[in-house]
Amino acid sequence: MNGRLRASLEYAAALLLLAFAWWYASGPMAMPHYLLPSPQSVVATLWDLLQDGQLLPHVAFTVKNIVLGLVIGAVLGVALAYLLFKISGLAEVLEGPLVVLQTAPKIALAPLIIIWFGLGLTAKIVLIVSLVFFPVFAGALAGLRAIDSRLHDLADLLHLSPLQRLVNIDLPASLPGIFVGVKIGAIQALVGAILAEWMSGAQGLGYMMTFATATYKTPMLFGAVLLTALIGMAMHAVLNETEARFLSWNTPDEP
Amino acid sequence: MITVQQIAKTFGGKEGTVVALEPFSLEIAEGELVSIIGPSGCGKSTLLRIIAGLEEPTSGNIALGTADLKRPVGFVFQDAVLLPWKTVAENIRFPLDTSGVPRSQSDEKVRELIKLIGLEGFENALPRQLSGGMKQRAAIARALADDPPILLMDEPFSAVDLLTRETLNDELSRIWQQTGKTILLVTHSVDEAAYLGTKVMVMSPRPGRLKKTIEVDLPLPRDEHTRRSAEYLDLVSELRNMMREMTA
Repeated sequence: MNGRLRASLEYAAALLLLAFAWWYASGPMAMPHYLLPSPQSVVATLWDLLQDGQLLPHVAFTVKNIVLGLVIGAVLGVALAYLLFKISGLAEVLEGPLVVLQTAPKIALAPLIIIWFGLGLTAKIVLIVSLVFFPVFAGALAGLRAIDSRLHDLADLLHLSPLQRLVNIDLPASLPGIFVGVKIGAIQALVGAILAEWMSGAQGLGYMMTFATATYKTPMLFGAVLLTALIGMAMHAVLNETEARFLSWNTPDEP
Repeated sequence: MITVQQIAKTFGGKEGTVVALEPFSLEIAEGELVSIIGPSGCGKSTLLRIIAGLEEPTSGNIALGTADLKRPVGFVFQDAVLLPWKTVAENIRFPLDTSGVPRSQSDEKVRELIKLIGLEGFENALPRQLSGGMKQRAAIARALADDPPILLMDEPFSAVDLLTRETLNDELSRIWQQTGKTILLVTHSVDEAAYLGTKVMVMSPRPGRLKKTIEVDLPLPRDEHTRRSAEYLDLVSELRNMMREMTA
């Protein structure tokens, strides 16, 4: 607990330092406002947007897409990893195509995804899912393959059904690996969501950024970037908390 | 209770085949505690895994006189193999949960087992919080949970220190007498084999087969007096000589 308190204090100190540097550059150092708006003007702009009801729908749209894409991508990733783990021979067949897909730069494929799936929500979710899928798949497969073979012996001895095996042995044992993948996938989901909104549509923080850029509303641009960073930090905190709760059995020995 | 007929096991690999077990037979009566000893690599663990149904023999037959029980054997691994995300009580309950025993019944059974095995106060501990000896206690309780007539133990105490080992040996002897299980214990400790067994089966080096069966006449219950008795010490040195000849 002491370590955690210390870590959050250090975290807060770093943020304060950053905010101070920002304030100093835009205030006393007098950087031009259209290049670097002051923290006060950014906060004021965000406050105005919140007041007239424009801000929350944009934030909600982006967050909803991230969560939806993250959940779908994670479920698909774990499901395919489990199939590969269970069906011997499938790994050899699919390994090649999967490596090609995994190494293909999904962000470069984004325009293609928009052509295929249109300008609407589907394309955005598809892009996020394609980014989340691979880290979760790789983490889950590594986790499944690292399961102690004697746990499989135990399952054999107890004549567990396939479902009992999945729920009681395979899933919990590979959870640490899955979690590594989900943490990486969450960052990818954020990148994917913003990118998709840059390219099409008129909603979300990514759209706010392109709109602000096109109209030289630099404080608004900064505000949108700031909120994106805050979403990333919030996801990180939620995932860490979830991990602490569900994977406490996996942490190193207690004294 | 356990009849093994002309069993043999060959492992095939890319670098040729290895004969782990040569054809041999053995028989174990109900309620016996049979120790199996032999030099490293003699296939004693393989024999145990075949009896448990974890591996198929290359040839030969196994018959367990247990009618048609779904889970005729309880198995204790070398190092516990508890589910690390479950507490001690949940681990012991696991065989009951997965065979559909209702909570009201399994709660009672788990309480009994925890008492039998001496783990009171640790019901809600996670495996990582337990010492090696306590993990092994929990593993034995789990193996006994759905009351299988046969208990197979694969070097169950080889990972604990000597003093704990002697304590666990005493406990196992007591539990065996209390429950009347048929127990097959694979060990590389001649002391343990002699102290616990009603019979000691000695296996030859690879390719393994049954070399000799020694009846143990030490009186029950076994305790500190047993460890100091001349008969016990004679038996241990006899077994030790046998092992020495084989590995020389």
